[in-house]
Amino acid sequence: MLKSIAKFQVWISLLARLILGGVLIAAGALKAGNPAHAAMAVRAYQVLPVTFANILGYALPWVEMGAGLALVIGVAVKGAAIIGGGLMVVFIIAIAQAWARGLSIDCGCFGGGGAVAPGHTAYVQEILRDTGLSALAVYLFRFPHGKFGLDKAPQE
Amino acid sequence: MASANKNGNSSKQPQQKGMRGLVIGMIVFVVAVGAAFAVISNQSIKSLKLPSSVSKADGYGITFNPTGSPKIDIWEDFQCPICDRFEGINGNYINQVIQAGHAKVVFHTMSFIGPESILAANAGACAANSGKFVQFHAAMYNNQPTTENSGKITNAWLTLIGAAAGISDPKFASCVNNGDYINWTKNIEADAAAKNVNATPTVFINGKEIDRNTQYMDAVAFKKALTDAGVK
Repeated sequence: MLKSIAKFQVWISLLARLILGGVLIAAGALKAGNPAHAAMAVRAYQVLPVTFANILGYALPWVEMGAGLALVIGVAVKGAAIIGGGLMVVFIIAIAQAWARGLSIDCGCFGGGGAVAPGHTAYVQEILRDTGLSALAVYLFRFPHGKFGLDKAPQE
Repeated sequence: MASANKNGNSSKQPQQKGMRGLVIGMIVFVVAVGAAFAVISNQSIKSLKLPSSVSKADGYGITFNPTGSPKIDIWEDFQCPICDRFEGINGNYINQVIQAGHAKVVFHTMSFIGPESILAANAGACAANSGKFVQFHAAMYNNQPTTENSGKITNAWLTLIGAAAGISDPKFASCVNNGDYINWTKNIEADAAAKNVNATPTVFINGKEIDRNTQYMDAVAFKKALTDAGVK
């Protein structure tokens, strides 16, 4: 890679890490404080058996916070990007299927969630946001090394 | 840290590698402990203090006319604005049904909206013990704060609501203040979670939900749903 581009790239990676990581930490922290509501949000997608949906609802916020923290610190960036990006893809599929089946739910992405009145959904915005975030994850998978990270620099 | 990466032999820095491993390990540890704790602490508690009129078989809900039929289950949260609307539309009718003994009615006072819902649900259980749940329930919705978890619902405030609802039982205030049924609210949540209740209010008649689009916010349709199920 050209040196000038490489210089540019580490700053983009830093920015991508902070955005994706920051969003994951915020999303996780807002949900972890109210696990009952987080579980309700997962159940409302009506995909998983209720028992699994509840366990996922309780546990997922912690996975999000962990991946987000790793991204912000800049440690195991590639792995954290896979987890973060993988989650975004799962969220997009989950939201899209709810939309396609005519469910009226709030995605519960940042706390909240559950059934909402018909016409109070925001599926387009939710999918667009998660698509943007998964693009950042793809970039980080390709260029994990950024400024101020703990991971070692790639051999040049 | 970044400058350390620049000095050529970055791939052979045991100290930094150890640091990196330590940080990863700590993150994985916190995630595992946090997730495990969240899963465990949201299960039903096996032995705990239950309000009177509450049984595990009825999902720990506050029950009226336990031998009556049909069975009407109502899941709600004292802070939920749509529950307030539902109460305004159907509350009087439900209270009439309870008073006449025309159905078994079970109130599941959920608390997923936040900490103030937990306090309110606890106070509701205290009111049930004092034989005034229906009155307390009505007074709660009449005075529901416009914003959720705004700091308005405190034990002192709930004691006043109880007084407004006509509760003179001296045990009520101590029950509210001691949080006698805080743990019980967890069981209400766990049971609602197991029954796939994903919104408030949710109404089941004989274990089956009524139609969310047509039967909740229409007094005539709601009454018909109940009479069709055998409520006189």
